[in-house]
Amino acid sequence: MRSAYLESQKSQQGRKLMACLPIFYPKPVLTALNICAAEVWGPPGPPRSAEAGRIQTYVCPIVRNALAFLAGRSAELADGLLCPHTCDSIQGLASVLPDFGGWAKPVIHFIHPRGPRRASTLAYLNQEIRGFVKNLEAFAGQSLDPNRLRWALELHRQIDTLAAKLLARRAYLDVDDFTLYTTLRKGEYLWPEDFFEELKRMDARLSDTVVQKGLPLLLSGIVPEPMSLLKNLDDAGAYVAADDYAAIGRRILPHADPPPSDPFAALVETYFAAPPCSTRASSIDGRREHLSRLAAARGVKGVIFHPIKFCEPELFDIPLLKRRLAELNIPVLVLESGLESELSGQTVTRLEAFVEMASNHGSQA
Amino acid sequence: MISRRVQYELAGRVAAPFLTKLDQWQAARKTKHPKRPTSGLFGPPLESARALKALMTSYYLRGRYADGAVPVAWVTSGFPFEPLEQLGYFIIYPENHAALCGARKLVPKISAAAEQEGFSLDLCSYARTDLGNVLKQATPVGRLPKPDLLCCSTNICQTVLHWYRNLADYLKAPLVLVDTPFIYHASPEHHLQYVVDQLEEMIAVAEGIAGRKLDRQQLVEVLARSREGSMLWRECLATGRAHPSPWTGFDTFFHIAPIVTMRGTDKCNAYYRHLLDELRDRVAKGIGGIARERIRLLWDNLPIWFNVRELSALLAERGFNFVCATYSNAWAEAGCSIQLGEPIPSMAKAYLEVYLNRDLANRLETMKQLAREFDVQGAVLHSDRSCKPYSVGQIDVKERLASDLGIKALVLEADHCDQRLYSEEQGKTRLQAFMESFDG
Ligand code: SF4
Ligand code: SF4
Repeated sequence: MRSAYLESQKSQQGRKLMACLPIFYPKPVLTALNICAAEVWGPPGPPRSAEAGRIQTYVCPIVRNALAFLAGRSAELADGLLCPHTCDSIQGLASVLPDFGGWAKPVIHFIHPRGPRRASTLAYLNQEIRGFVKNLEAFAGQSLDPNRLRWALELHRQIDTLAAKLLARRAYLDVDDFTLYTTLRKGEYLWPEDFFEELKRMDARLSDTVVQKGLPLLLSGIVPEPMSLLKNLDDAGAYVAADDYAAIGRRILPHADPPPSDPFAALVETYFAAPPCSTRASSIDGRREHLSRLAAARGVKGVIFHPIKFCEPELFDIPLLKRRLAELNIPVLVLESGLESELSGQTVTRLEAFVEMASNHGSQA
Repeated sequence: MISRRVQYELAGRVAAPFLTKLDQWQAARKTKHPKRPTSGLFGPPLESARALKALMTSYYLRGRYADGAVPVAWVTSGFPFEPLEQLGYFIIYPENHAALCGARKLVPKISAAAEQEGFSLDLCSYARTDLGNVLKQATPVGRLPKPDLLCCSTNICQTVLHWYRNLADYLKAPLVLVDTPFIYHASPEHHLQYVVDQLEEMIAVAEGIAGRKLDRQQLVEVLARSREGSMLWRECLATGRAHPSPWTGFDTFFHIAPIVTMRGTDKCNAYYRHLLDELRDRVAKGIGGIARERIRLLWDNLPIWFNVRELSALLAERGFNFVCATYSNAWAEAGCSIQLGEPIPSMAKAYLEVYLNRDLANRLETMKQLAREFDVQGAVLHSDRSCKPYSVGQIDVKERLASDLGIKALVLEADHCDQRLYSEEQGKTRLQAFMESFDG
């Protein structure tokens, strides 16, 4: 279904198609240049080709699966590859593919600054975005029209605002987590206007009263895979009341109102205003405060850290974040997973036991 | 503060020389009863090894008394440290300290405190060792001084940034970052400017903590020494081109310590002059690092610190010698390209363009160049479980070394510091099979 949709974006809408590695990149620029972004989060399941063997098994499965997918010719539809500089492993993948074979089409990099907002990072990001635009213009074969960029920024502002609303009012939304996340994750490949329509349809299902009766949890990680985890949570009597996934909540950007008149300034500002993320090396203190605020605002009764196996950025942050949640008397579970299609029976049992423990913890407190 | 300063000076000027003399006296007594079981396999030991030991003992001994006496910075190995040196900081390199713990096989014990805190075994074992030591002091060097400043550069990996963000939190110390955008083929002008800007920001913070202004004229002198040290190190490595090589790649792993921890100082350069003289003398006399050099190899990635001696004996037994290593070579790169006329921009460029901050095509070229210059017949690529940035791409590199140069290559899975992540028996078997393939 995804392939058919992307095919139609090319053939019917005349758009170029960009395969995008995770996680952060200035998407409105792609939208303004009529480039449809299709993100490659693995894909989940077993590697799609033997090419995965070109990267060691102790490297995160998103990267190994992406190599298998891209070098195994499963992404023939794409016209180019966008590689944000997310972590050491993606850095390696972005070099393996063009340097040693598997990807002969254009490769565009976006190297975002690490660490806090400083004079140097502001100046750098501004220049990096301009360089990124130039490369995309060459790729798209057209110049960026500033008015079109303003239009794209406004569209993405509306998308972010609505996605933020859906997550903030999760308890009032009459759908299960699997359905909600399936919709939210369509943003990984739908043309933004189509995605906005999907979100509006979801918005129509908001009720005036709280409909979620399960145990409210906060989930934090890179990407909610395997998606069956959400069904497991549902079965165990819990739901995701607060989201801190890099693929979802951490990419919902708060936009200045009114936006800066210079669209480049708007892109820079939203980058720094984004929720804290390990892959952008936000301070641990910033992450701690963000999680505490989220947990308090949504009445969270437990937190599940859900890192992808071998993911250094996430694994490094968990100990100190756990400490903070322990201070707040919030139960925590760390659940590492790969990109398998289902959690193992043992992991599901751990999940169930955690939900039960967190429910009791709540009633005793 | 004054008594602390006195202790610090005494440690460097009196205690360290005394301990060195004591050590030399003990070593002289021991030579009457040598205990090295593998002595027949190697050439005579390098005399400089004693000076190295003295230098490092003095360094860590002074370090014990540094906090409270002088400003202290903990620094990642690729950090542009020269301004700190000029500002009088005592500089600790946690990676070097972790390597030392690894060589003494102490990592599982020290890392346990970090693992108990929740740090995964999959994380870089240098980082786990350092965090473990912060959480529960267990260093073999007595103690490490508390940092006034943490300095991190992403030019070797992103891992260090995640690690140092934790240090900043545990140690309540400010963290300065010099972020170096990764180079795919070439870097655009604004990447260099970004590093320049950050160097100036870093200098301002370091000045504030040191309580004095950077003397830019003296900075040039530090840079000159740093460059000279790197060049001397490069010349030491170049002696390995001789047949036989006067030392082994494994020796270079240990003699690298001063260029890592004391670059920019007279002591460091004096040490390498001495080492270079000795190596050249060995070349002239035809003395090899191993007794019977038959096959010359290249080593890629970090050392397996806890297994260096065992591996060198296994190889030397059959006449195999590592004559060059990408890891040792990387330390000869950055410092050498510093231009003294434009200190900050040239530091920025030198530290931006380090080996690990460049794409795999560049890495492959460097390895091919090393292979040719050192006349190697094979390569061992240490696939380092807990160092992703150095290891991703090795499987393709192995193929390319074979197809482009016709040399045999082996990917050997291990870890740089944590013996729990290495199956020694399996490693041995693979190496033996690899060596046999040269005789087939
Ligand atoms: S899961 Fe972690 S290691 Fe893997 S690509 Fe994402 S950030 Fe990198
Ligand atoms: S060993 Fe590897 S991951 Fe660890 S600090 Fe060094 S380069 Fe980074």
